[in-house]
Amino acid sequence: MESSSSLSFLLTLPLIGMAIALVVPKAVQRLYAIFGSLLFLAITLYETAGLVCAKTGSAAANFVAIHPLVWVPELGIELSLRLDTTSVWFVVLNALVGLLAFSTRGVWFRKNPQWFTAFGFFLMFALNAAFLSEDLVSFYLAYEAVFIPMIFMTGIWGENQKASSVFRFFLMSFLGSILMLVSIFYLIQLHHAEAGVYSSRVQDLIRTAGGLSGERRLLTFLGFFLAFAVKVPLVPFHGWLKEVYVNAPTPATLWMSAILSKLGIYGILRFVIPLFPMEMARVQGILVAAAAVSVVYAALLAYRSRNPKALLAYSSISHLGFVLLGLFTLKEQGISAAIFLSIGHALSSGVMFYLLSQIEEREQEISLDAPHGLSGTYPILFGALFVGMLASVSLPGTLNFTAEFLVLNSSYSTSIPATGIALLGSVLGAAYMLKFYQMLGFGLSSKQETNPIPAVKVRDLGGWDLLLVMVFLFVLLVAGFKTGIFLKGN
Amino acid sequence: MFDDFNAMMPWVVLSVGVLFTLLVSVIRVDSTKPAGIAASVTLITTMFFAWKMMPAAPLHPFHGMLEVSDLTLSVLVFLSGSGLLFLAGASRYLTREGLHLSDFYHLVLILILGASVLVCSRDLLVSFISLEVMSLPAYTLAGFRRNDSRSNEAAIKYFILGGAAGAVFLLGASFLYGATGSMDFGTITEWTRTHGGRQPLFWIGHVLVLGAFLFKVAAAPLHFWKPDVYEGAPVPVTGIMSVIVGSSAFIALIRLLHLPDLLLPGWMEYAGALRALFRVLAGMSLVTGALVMITQKNFKRLMAYSSISHTGYLLLGVLATFSDPAAVSSVLIYLFGYGLMATGFFALLAQTEGSADSSVELVDVTGLMKRAPLKTVLWTIFLFSMSGMPFTIGFFTKLSVFMAAIGVGETGIVILAALCTVVGAYAYLRPVALMVMRDSDPGAGSWSTSFGSQMVAAVAAVAVVILGILPNAVIHYLKGIPLIH
Repeated sequence: MESSSSLSFLLTLPLIGMAIALVVPKAVQRLYAIFGSLLFLAITLYETAGLVCAKTGSAAANFVAIHPLVWVPELGIELSLRLDTTSVWFVVLNALVGLLAFSTRGVWFRKNPQWFTAFGFFLMFALNAAFLSEDLVSFYLAYEAVFIPMIFMTGIWGENQKASSVFRFFLMSFLGSILMLVSIFYLIQLHHAEAGVYSSRVQDLIRTAGGLSGERRLLTFLGFFLAFAVKVPLVPFHGWLKEVYVNAPTPATLWMSAILSKLGIYGILRFVIPLFPMEMARVQGILVAAAAVSVVYAALLAYRSRNPKALLAYSSISHLGFVLLGLFTLKEQGISAAIFLSIGHALSSGVMFYLLSQIEEREQEISLDAPHGLSGTYPILFGALFVGMLASVSLPGTLNFTAEFLVLNSSYSTSIPATGIALLGSVLGAAYMLKFYQMLGFGLSSKQETNPIPAVKVRDLGGWDLLLVMVFLFVLLVAGFKTGIFLKGN
Repeated sequence: MFDDFNAMMPWVVLSVGVLFTLLVSVIRVDSTKPAGIAASVTLITTMFFAWKMMPAAPLHPFHGMLEVSDLTLSVLVFLSGSGLLFLAGASRYLTREGLHLSDFYHLVLILILGASVLVCSRDLLVSFISLEVMSLPAYTLAGFRRNDSRSNEAAIKYFILGGAAGAVFLLGASFLYGATGSMDFGTITEWTRTHGGRQPLFWIGHVLVLGAFLFKVAAAPLHFWKPDVYEGAPVPVTGIMSVIVGSSAFIALIRLLHLPDLLLPGWMEYAGALRALFRVLAGMSLVTGALVMITQKNFKRLMAYSSISHTGYLLLGVLATFSDPAAVSSVLIYLFGYGLMATGFFALLAQTEGSADSSVELVDVTGLMKRAPLKTVLWTIFLFSMSGMPFTIGFFTKLSVFMAAIGVGETGIVILAALCTVVGAYAYLRPVALMVMRDSDPGAGSWSTSFGSQMVAAVAAVAVVILGILPNAVIHYLKGIPLIH
């Protein structure tokens, strides 16, 4: 056990960052956001270093908990935080992705930038709160609070069809999560009827959920599961995703793809599997099939996308299908591989969206209909994009390869057909990513044909932007070769 | 005799204040300031006296016809406080619309007096009289825009239908009297304990009495009057109806519902039937409110359907009281939270001048973010709170009724309510989307802000957020208030 004050830092610092953002002058907002999130990342790493490096196997030593602060005693709602070897990865990812999103360039740092920074820090706070909560009601509160900055970011800096896309996103997610809330209340009331006290801590409710009769347990389980299935998303529930990914400003898309989707993964991992192990085993066949279909179906959709953001959005669903496949094996190896792949996906999709925002900042219209030939204009940027793409298609030598390999390895013993289908998705993944790279990077665009050498020297990736990308890619590569560092922690 | 008056001190203060304000408004016809000050002073004094008396052991002055207890005193403080906020937010609106007459102030005071006496009534006749004392000023206030045909329509409609509801209440009361031989709540409850549950005369009377109040709180299918009345009435009056009339009618409804001891074994059958009826009413209110809300273009009609859906949520709490009378606290928490957000919301609405025809349409807030960011934040807080978003009081109000209803096994209707919450969220987010996502529109509405209404909205917004993060004090306090003495 470490000192527990570190946990409250992880929640209060983003809030302080949010408050300061509102008074920082507009001209230096981006600078402030980068420094603020860098500082937050440093503190997060410092505070969590012990857990990240924890190599001992005994589970008892591997967590930090804070004494529960009673929040609403009449309803048994507590603010009890817990950081262990699972949640620590998500907390670190949150800080990393925040830094990446704040380092983007675009209209959000020109028009009302103080609001953008404030919403960003609030999002980081809400995500940390969700990842740290041990109490279901406070988890739900944080989970819902994540919507607020997303709605506003999309609403204020989004593109043409932002209103309809944000409504669809919000309403579909809200529909899932409010049913989860009813399930949570149901468990709390049952626990109250049994034990006589209100409590919404996971440990207390696990026993209650175990004692439910078959039908009721299935319904309660569905309440929880659907909320997270929409959030990830798993294929039949992905209807909201494309529109909002395309219409949201790129940092918001980056956040959604890299970390918000992990909130769904985390929810399944942390709440659904422990609360309803029997139900998960009962519907395992369907779930594994759905995950495999997710991988292939989203990859096909990605292949025929004309918008680069839509392509990356579908690619995200496809890779998350692998993560879910790992989780649904319900075996320790599969689950830890899934966590591992979540990290890889968060880093690689974060980098891809980040580089896309850099391209968007330099070029007005980019679509995948015609070749753009941008690699000649921005050689460094496209070099980085190439490495990011390699990680994204899970080429050997990157973190994603090792993780996907481990997932498939453990799903093989669960379901051979599902593993085969998912492998097909892997191949498709290479196909659409190559198309993506080819259309953006190679060939001659009509603009270049008429004017082969640009009159003004265009700025390639450089300075802080380049350094940041290099660090992320470096992590992906090192982790791919030295996988042991990650696996020992789990 | 004097003891009785002493026990009723806050109400006496309020009554004297009504007469005083009436007198002031007759003497100083040229200016409305004196009447406004007199009304405000009256409400503040009333709150002070009521506050000083708490916590109070329950007293039953005037031969047990009234009840002075923590519940009734708290409600009085709440009603006076929100009345004060409405008055503070209203003056600029009334001046702008050319309605600023001194009569407004004493009519509001009479309404508050009626509403607060209704809550402490322990006698069917007192209930009727206070119901009418509350309703008559409400009819008048609804028609306060004398030159506007819709306001006249609102007043006439409200008056006729409200009168019919009053008649239904009297009919029910006479049935109850016929069955039990008493008007007194305590005696009636005793009678139900000594007599078996098979009492058709009592059943009819009871259902009729409840029906009158279900009409007042606009539980679907008795909601049809509400949108038209809300639309026609001046904005502050709409707010007063939704908070003050709604809250006191709801508490009176629960008191009347528990006239027979519903937990008695002999009354199980009747309680079961009544419970089924309330379940249907709650479901219909939730569905009607949420579904019709999303098609509305006018803010006041939106709020009318919104309040119908809030009635649905409140009925979930009422359903919980059938088997757990302590669940009444969930209704109180909801009423308090709703009062807070509606007070602020109507203060903002009163500031907004519609582009056409003195009614505020949704399009009038288009692009508000660009022109008035602070106002946008306030609007957003209230709308989020109504939709039940986290970190607003609206989340905890929904939480309390959902938990209470699930606690007594009403899970099915809670799932329906949860689905309606999603539909409702769409309706509440639409204005936010218009404010934030659109460029400002030259045809949109404008504002006439006064210090008073701005303060009311800001105070309510801060309270909505702070209580949304730390609801402890309120929940703890309201959980400690028992309903029946």
